[in-house]
Amino acid sequence: MNDINDLMLGGQAVAGEPIEALTREGPAIPLARPDRDLDAHTRKTLAQMEREIGQKYGAHNVRTWPYVAIALICFAVFVATFPLAIMGVIPLWLGCAINSVFVAGGYVVSHEAMHSNLGREGTRQRFWNELTGWIAAVPLILPFSMLKAMHLLHHQYTNDPDKDPDAIHSASNVFMAVIKSWLNRQPGAGGTAARWRRHIGELGTPEAKAALKHTMAIQLVVLSFFFAMAWQGYAIEVALLWWLPRHIGLSYIHAVLSWAPHQPHSGVGRYDSTAIIRHKLGHWGALGIDFHLVHHLHPYIPVHACKAAYREMKPILEARGVDCSAH
Amino acid sequence: MEVALKKLFVVMPLIFGIGFIAPLIAQTMAAWHWEAPLGLTRVSFGLTVGALWGLYATLRGRWV
Repeated sequence: MNDINDLMLGGQAVAGEPIEALTREGPAIPLARPDRDLDAHTRKTLAQMEREIGQKYGAHNVRTWPYVAIALICFAVFVATFPLAIMGVIPLWLGCAINSVFVAGGYVVSHEAMHSNLGREGTRQRFWNELTGWIAAVPLILPFSMLKAMHLLHHQYTNDPDKDPDAIHSASNVFMAVIKSWLNRQPGAGGTAARWRRHIGELGTPEAKAALKHTMAIQLVVLSFFFAMAWQGYAIEVALLWWLPRHIGLSYIHAVLSWAPHQPHSGVGRYDSTAIIRHKLGHWGALGIDFHLVHHLHPYIPVHACKAAYREMKPILEARGVDCSAH
Repeated sequence: MEVALKKLFVVMPLIFGIGFIAPLIAQTMAAWHWEAPLGLTRVSFGLTVGALWGLYATLRGRWV
């Protein structure tokens, strides 16, 4: 289990304070790893060096306003695709392609807000953090509150087959990951919706219960929109501008952003629950998922800064026994 | 209210079949100039398929 306080900027230890999560004993560094001979002092020093690099590239030290701007612009374009496509200004296939990108990209932007990287609680920027998180998730037809609750659980229990909401995406290869993504979207007891309800019940917090209500509310509103538009004669438009892009985007999110950096979903430690990978879609095509280990180690580093942080952290990670051969 | 909503979501695949798949089938057939079989109108055919498919998804927990 990972320390929940490490997951958000608001919970970060300040410089000089003990870094328990980075120095604790246990399965984070299995005995079979090359760093088994490191003594406690060396490990603490490495942890301190790693943390200093993390702080250097943390959200409080890099520009994050572009995420807010991107979210606002993309949401406006997403909404505009409906009248533009219905009036024939843009072809439906173009709207479908644009909105598919917005679904996947929206998750990445919303993800920064999940870690409070766009505005810590109690700051003036908090409003923009929350606004960005909510509007970027609209194309997914999921509320920010639910995505945040499930994502923080993923960080806390990464790869735990029972407690990690993303463990449901485990698959033998990328093709099966896409198939699994689709199977998980089915309405039955084995699907993501049923699993999320279980996680929410286990959390039992007021925030978790509110997230469930938000999910029902947003799905009712959007489905009502679907039904109204469909019976007004725009079923094909809604199917190609929202329903299909959502499924394409979810397949991408699950196969590229969730499955690829965590497969084979076996490691549960700090340094082996995810990895530094080279994705076939490239750094931009995979939306920066190739440095996912840096994100799990320091979630307060925005995704665009993970690559630079990794470059500096690489010797430290290699000393820790992390496979850095991909980059 | 919450209980009613939860029950509504249990039968949501059926509602989705009638509310969205039915008109989608009818409008797709119209766009491709397909006529409905058995003398049905396109909307009637869409409603039949959408409702049966949605009912199947509700009962089985999966669409196929």
